[in-house]
Amino acid sequence: MHAAFVVAAKDLRQRLRDRSAWVLGFVAPVAVALLMSFAFQGGEHFHTKVAVVDEDGGALAMAFTAFLAGPQLDSVLDVVPVTSEAEARALVDEGELGAVFLVPEGFTAAAHDGTAEPMTVLSGVDSPLAGTVARSIGESFVAQLNADRLSMATALAAGAGPVDPSETAGLRLPEQVVPKAAGTEQLTAAGYYGPAMGIFFMFFAIGFGARGYFEERENGTLDRIAVAPVDAGALLLGKALATFVYGVASLSSVALVTGLVLGQGWGPPLAVGMVIVALALTLVCLTAFVIAVAGNDRQADGIASLVIFGLVLLGGNFILLGGAPEIMRKLALLTPNGWALRAFTDLAGGAGWISVVQPVLAILLFCVVISAITVPIYRRRFR
Amino acid sequence: MNVVTIALVSLRRLARDRIALFFLVLLPVVVILVIGAVMRGQNGFRVAVVAAEGRFAGELTQSLAAAGTLVTSPFTDESAAKDALRRNEVDAVLLIPAGMDRTLTAGAPVELPLLTTAASGAGQGAWSAVASVVADHAATVQAAAFAATRTSASFDELVPLARSLDRTVPQVAVRAETVGSTGDVLPPGFSYSAPTMLVFFVFINALAGGAALIQTRRLGIHARILAGPVRPREVILGETLCYLALTLLQSGLIIGVGGLLFGVNWGDPLAAVTLTFMWGLVGAGAGMLSGALFRTPEQASAIGPAVGIGAGMLGGCTWPLEIVPPAVRAAGHVTPHAWAVDAWTTILSRGGGLDDILRPLAVLGTFAALFLGAATLRLRRSLTA
Repeated sequence: MHAAFVVAAKDLRQRLRDRSAWVLGFVAPVAVALLMSFAFQGGEHFHTKVAVVDEDGGALAMAFTAFLAGPQLDSVLDVVPVTSEAEARALVDEGELGAVFLVPEGFTAAAHDGTAEPMTVLSGVDSPLAGTVARSIGESFVAQLNADRLSMATALAAGAGPVDPSETAGLRLPEQVVPKAAGTEQLTAAGYYGPAMGIFFMFFAIGFGARGYFEERENGTLDRIAVAPVDAGALLLGKALATFVYGVASLSSVALVTGLVLGQGWGPPLAVGMVIVALALTLVCLTAFVIAVAGNDRQADGIASLVIFGLVLLGGNFILLGGAPEIMRKLALLTPNGWALRAFTDLAGGAGWISVVQPVLAILLFCVVISAITVPIYRRRFR
Repeated sequence: MNVVTIALVSLRRLARDRIALFFLVLLPVVVILVIGAVMRGQNGFRVAVVAAEGRFAGELTQSLAAAGTLVTSPFTDESAAKDALRRNEVDAVLLIPAGMDRTLTAGAPVELPLLTTAASGAGQGAWSAVASVVADHAATVQAAAFAATRTSASFDELVPLARSLDRTVPQVAVRAETVGSTGDVLPPGFSYSAPTMLVFFVFINALAGGAALIQTRRLGIHARILAGPVRPREVILGETLCYLALTLLQSGLIIGVGGLLFGVNWGDPLAAVTLTFMWGLVGAGAGMLSGALFRTPEQASAIGPAVGIGAGMLGGCTWPLEIVPPAVRAAGHVTPHAWAVDAWTTILSRGGGLDDILRPLAVLGTFAALFLGAATLRLRRSLTA
């Protein structure tokens, strides 16, 4: 067992002397996470500026402006003054305003008797979300008016006597949508891509480990170890341990830095640790797999690249999986990194530590499957 | 002639490297496919609907599903819907409570909870879109209930009448109008992923390709070439030509695949070709600089992509710079990527031509000159040492 630790310590020392190991294992993922955090600082809360061009001047138009500036929409909208429709259009075109409400002349009068000119919502090409939200807000406001008109028409059609408009003024729509907190945290880009990039860069250790093995075989290091009183099991264990420790250290450092510096905690430390350990075991299994199927260091590099990019593309490390088509979300669950990202996403969203049990088991199952494939290949090639 | 021969030899060596071919050919195409599929543009707010049994619940579910502003998905279990919300698979969860029919028939109001994550922009948008559809549905219920108080007909009898009148009674309408026809961001889908990934991968592969130049030096190929009647300048030009050919081949491949497989319209041909060539020069310069600065091939192929990924992210290849704070946008323009993406945006989103991208082209030209100049100085020193 002692020999395994010596081999592991030697491998780690050697690895850390290589600047690229530091860059890929620690510097790059932390830098990317920092970059993402700064890029999306405050940009993920929808808030837009709108303006009202009131050509009506009536009570209804004023009520609408007051509704927009009211507390219900305070977190979504800022109402800014504009002097004319032309100015409003120019501001929308420049992206200074998310949307503009054009309230037409005669809006108040026509709303009660006759056909009203429609209210127009202007939005820019680059702000479809602001346009959709503004239109829905406008529709919600006029919905009560339309419901009151429909109520009068229905009563008349059903045989009721003449209805005074004031009789419907007190009516309120009987179905109301009430926003409530779901008890989950918003998944931010920085919160998702922190672990995603950490895992991506951690996987580069597969190539390092496999290439290192073949280099040692080439330059005779393995032969020299073989003549020492070290059995093959201790040698393999030592190499696996070095890869495992590097993997744990790499991902943990990203978790620590993003948690402490950026305040983007990944979740309860024990649960996060369980996922990191399971992923580091995957790293060991995949490195062994690449060594078993490759013939030399160049092949090891190539196969490792295929494995790494295959897994990260399928597992969702480059894309926010939540917005991806369902088939892609399902395919991601064929990969250990896809399960890990699900675990980190759930933890970041406020789920308890128990939520990582299924992902950890799935990652360990992946390890078992890869090991079951690797061992016979390794035995056949290296006996 | 010497220059072309040196370039061809280096290209042949690269073409035999299957790993390089994987990164040059396969990976960019797969990434364009994956990112393009995800960024096809949002058709509406994604709302999970957890509806209890009942006539009104069924009608409302249908109205929500038919709304153009919403993409609904039915859930039978509230906790599964919350899981989907936590994983950002939906923007909000609408709960349609049990007993809605009974409550509305009795003339009492019904509250429909819409669960959203704290301070979620999409959640706020989903609320306004859902509220609009629900208000439309509630109008007929209000009308039937009001008419029931004024006549002897029952609420249930009046609901169909209200619904039929809803289609004929004049309404105060809200119409939408889009100002301008040209955007400041690339169109969604493959038209976004193809040009940005062209910029992203050409640069990364060129940086990683610096490893080949280091290997050529280490193997003593340059020394052997210089033993003949070849000047160092020709070696450097030959290697530059090799990198330029490589970046242009990869760009051509991405443009071809983007156009043929993913239906990307690359805009004005002259502007697109000029920009592609200029970006090829920037890539060639970056590759040469990588080969001149790094000491080992491993450093170039490991650190190069990490630098390329960081610069690509900062420069707007992975998200539009229009959505980031102004300071980050300004910092992004320290990289050549931001200027290239700006130029592609002008060509693809605003129908711009060569005249419209002269400024970004000039900046890219400066970057290319800087990279190539620095690489040349460094390589000349090592070749003549």
